[in-house]
Amino acid sequence: MDEELQQLEAELKQLCPRTVSPDLRQRLARELEPLVRPRWVWTALPIAAALALLLTLNRSDHEVPTAAAPAVVQTTTRPTAEVYRPVSVENVLYASEDEGIVTLENGARVHRVREAYVDTVTWRNPQTNASLRWSVPREEVRVVPVYFQ
Amino acid sequence: MADASSHDSWKEWFQLHGPKLLLCARQWTRSLADAEDVVQEAFVRFWRHQRGLAGEPQALLITSVRRAAIDLARRNDRRQRREEQADEPEPFFEPLAEGDDRRQAIESALRRLPAEQREVLTLRIWGECTFDEIARQLDIPLNTAASRYRYALSALRRELTAADCHG
Repeated sequence: MDEELQQLEAELKQLCPRTVSPDLRQRLARELEPLVRPRWVWTALPIAAALALLLTLNRSDHEVPTAAAPAVVQTTTRPTAEVYRPVSVENVLYASEDEGIVTLENGARVHRVREAYVDTVTWRNPQTNASLRWSVPREEVRVVPVYFQ
Repeated sequence: MADASSHDSWKEWFQLHGPKLLLCARQWTRSLADAEDVVQEAFVRFWRHQRGLAGEPQALLITSVRRAAIDLARRNDRRQRREEQADEPEPFFEPLAEGDDRRQAIESALRRLPAEQREVLTLRIWGECTFDEIARQLDIPLNTAASRYRYALSALRRELTAADCHG
């Protein structure tokens, strides 16, 4: 590359991309801030759970069966609201490596491409509108046999 | 690009890299508002689910931004075409304290470049991607990425020289 183009390249690097608008920052904050909980929550939650467990155990120790207690245990199950259905599946390709022609252990020559994805599946409970999202990394290796004539 | 998993605060990380991501997004969208939408979508997904993954976060984020931009374009193609004709383009860069005419001339020349050259130039200069990373992002051969970059720089130089000559 000639010197003039290098100077232009250096000049372009001096230009600063426009800063992000306060509106976009606020939108990101609305989405990301609820993930950060105050530190006291992490201490208080286990204590509250332990207290609830203790109270429950304490009550069950002191419960005396009464004559009015039902003799038949109800076994019918009520329809549960915890039914999640998959509503979307998304695959993001974030890396792709073309390894070219390679020779496999069996001697076959193949063209191999290695791709890395993140798969995200979202489930939603149509009754409560609660949603659950699950993201997993996945590597896909495509092998195409190559024949030379 | 700095390691995102070592940052506790998204604000700190976004402060450093948000403007670059937004500029890249603008190469694939028709307006600043759309670019902000796709950056928001990609960044939230990255920060919540992907920042702990191995690999270069920049490549992952730019891929994610590009994919979101393509999806948005498919969804809103007709509506955006109408809006595009009405809107004034928003500047790509911060104004310069001195010599802002030059910045405007560069920006104007940049907008006239063919889209495939402009995206390579943007990813290389402001996205700080290597040619290898650009080739992977755009699914083109490495030599094509490098030659598009050279063509873009040459075309910019021609435009800017012509602009200088015409005052």
